[in-house]
Amino acid sequence: MPVWLREYSWRQSPSAVYLSLPVRGLRVTPNSIFCTEQYLKVSIPPFLFEAILYAPIDDTNSTAKIGNGIIFFTLYKKEAAMWDSLTLENATKEKLQCLRENAVLKAHERAKEETEAKKVTKQEHKKYALEATMKLEEAERKRIEDLKEKERLKVTKELELWKKQQQDAEKQRRAQKEVELHQQVEQLKEKKKEKIDKTRIPSEVTSKTRLKTTRGCHGFHSIFSENLKEEQLPAPRSAATIKVNFTSRVFPTALRESRVAEEEEWLHKQAEARRTISADLSELEDLKEEEKNPDWLKDKGNKMFATGDYLGAVNAYNLAVQLNNKLPLLYLNRAACHLKLRNLHKAIEDSSKALELLRSPVPDNENARVKAYVRRGTAFCQLELYVEGLQDYEAALKIDPKNKIIEEDAEKIRHLIQGTTQDS
Amino acid sequence: MSVPSGPERPQVVAHVQQALPFTLFDCKWVPRSARLLCLGSAARGTGLIHLYELRGGRLALLSEIEKTKPIKCGTFGATSLQQRYLATGDFGGNLNIWNLEAPEIPVYSVKGHKEIINSIDGVGGLGIGEGAPEIVTGSRDGTVKVWDPRQKDTPVANMEPVQGESKRDCWTVAFGNAYNQEERVVCAGYDNGDIKLFDLKTMSLRWETNIKNGVCSVEFDRKDVNMNKLVATSLEGKFHVFDMRTQHPTKGFASVSEKAQKSTIWQVRHLPQNRDIFMTSGGAGSLHLWKYEYPAQRSKKDSEGAEMGVAGSVSLLQNVTLSTQPISSLDWSPDKKGLCVCGAFDQTVRVLIVTKLNKV
Repeated sequence: MPVWLREYSWRQSPSAVYLSLPVRGLRVTPNSIFCTEQYLKVSIPPFLFEAILYAPIDDTNSTAKIGNGIIFFTLYKKEAAMWDSLTLENATKEKLQCLRENAVLKAHERAKEETEAKKVTKQEHKKYALEATMKLEEAERKRIEDLKEKERLKVTKELELWKKQQQDAEKQRRAQKEVELHQQVEQLKEKKKEKIDKTRIPSEVTSKTRLKTTRGCHGFHSIFSENLKEEQLPAPRSAATIKVNFTSRVFPTALRESRVAEEEEWLHKQAEARRTISADLSELEDLKEEEKNPDWLKDKGNKMFATGDYLGAVNAYNLAVQLNNKLPLLYLNRAACHLKLRNLHKAIEDSSKALELLRSPVPDNENARVKAYVRRGTAFCQLELYVEGLQDYEAALKIDPKNKIIEEDAEKIRHLIQGTTQDS
Repeated sequence: MSVPSGPERPQVVAHVQQALPFTLFDCKWVPRSARLLCLGSAARGTGLIHLYELRGGRLALLSEIEKTKPIKCGTFGATSLQQRYLATGDFGGNLNIWNLEAPEIPVYSVKGHKEIINSIDGVGGLGIGEGAPEIVTGSRDGTVKVWDPRQKDTPVANMEPVQGESKRDCWTVAFGNAYNQEERVVCAGYDNGDIKLFDLKTMSLRWETNIKNGVCSVEFDRKDVNMNKLVATSLEGKFHVFDMRTQHPTKGFASVSEKAQKSTIWQVRHLPQNRDIFMTSGGAGSLHLWKYEYPAQRSKKDSEGAEMGVAGSVSLLQNVTLSTQPISSLDWSPDKKGLCVCGAFDQTVRVLIVTKLNKV
């Protein structure tokens, strides 16, 4: 239930109504005031003031001043007449309701119109701004184009001028040369007057006819100049050869930095392929067909290991490795042989090689990797490098945690290490 | 001296563009004129020389000469200004010198190499420098030969691989250090990244190095002075500038290198009027204009007291992309500063003007 504000005072003039509403201590915002043509409401929850006005007012021009705990309304009447009272007295509830609803509707409509109008103006503003920037950019572009054009024209003119100068200079030179030549021909003529030689005259005639052509005079003159110059020029160099060594390059194509890595790889692969092939050829000519198969050799090796012929097994594995050095099992089994033969360093080497080849941790590999770690660990321990041995055993345990034997051995090694550290 | 920026930078203005009906390998200005030559190969496998003149805003074809073998490269470097004979190297390994007025029979001809002549250079002509005019050719058969037009059939110097050694293609040659009648060097670049400097006075190898990428083009900044700078461009978008004034006994010449772009740098050409500015042309159809700045001290002593050179720095003045195909040949006009011609593999020849070079 709202609290009605009933203390208000008002006075009027023929054209306006002045209403003063005390709102002591209340925060009034422009949103609290709602006014339409015939309805005025001030709502500051929980306080409420509403009035159904006696006659319609011009609500767009009417004002409300908020300040000093009072709202002061200046309502301009639509019709200039004196009101009997501020509000309509005999307003029934329904009428009130109706009026209220109408008022709200009207307000809504007005709000809508306003937003529409705002949108339209905003759009127009944007368009204008866009056009303005486009014009500016266009102007800038034109300016640059014009500059370039001007340069071009200027430069073209200069070129034409220069060309003209050249042509004039050439003409002058030619004229000069003709005069010189004339003089020289005159001299020759005089010389000939002393010696009448028939063979000379035809050449003179031909040379004279060549004078007529523009280039011909050049030729004639140039013979003179060439003779003169040849005296000044040094003799041709004495022929010699310089032997040249090139930075070696295998490929016939040009060297490019970006391709160097690829080329290195290719060469490396070629070298490896060549090595295996050449190894085959030298020693294995008298072997039987099956003995050239690495798998067959591996089986042979395994059999020999089982019977205790460790050296024979190592030989078999060696041969297999020569044929195909990418099979990890060969190295693995050879490591086992070396362990039995107490070639501990070799055992470590082979297990390491096997582990390298078994790098990817897939389940198939697990078995082989465990074995490799264990063998290497054993070799380390037998060399009394217990720490490394323990590392390998722990790696093996990581792969296969359920293996009791490995666990026990690992424990033993740990005790050994602790034992030695306690002593020292 | 700082590089100008903004509107003060040199601009590359495309003046004329002409589509040609043949593959263009080399283009050269005819000295003391507004004419240029285009050398190349026709579709039917014969060589072509086209002579154009710059008229107004276009190129007018003055004459067309056809030869049996496609022509790869040419130079005016070894002829006098009056004669202006063109020396060309072709796909068959022949070196010919032509008089363009009477091109039916060459003035000098020799089958110098067994395979295509990739590059040619001339020195001693055009009133530049002293000493006998000589032409050097570098070929796919791995040899570099120096010819004197007065001596028939045999070269005056021959740089060939040692007996039994496999050969590498020589891709580029350049003359330098021709400051008096005796001194001359030839620099050659090969496809395995070797750069070798041969001294013709002592007939020996003076310096060699390997820049790790095939060498597409070498040029000294001036042929007729004590050798000052050498620019070598290579595959993979790199080029090196060597300071040639100070040679260290083991380390050779100091250099600075720059990676300009991702594609091959086909050519480098120094501006005839300013030897510190040069242009490189690239495999992506772009041209870059560079300026070299000398260091405060060009040489210093190393720990053992031997002199060694100090390389400066290179800054980019301008770059422009003209074509989608590589620009394989480039030539500055010796008469007008900033005028240059370039030919690309899209069968067009372009005449360009580079502005504001005075202000750099």
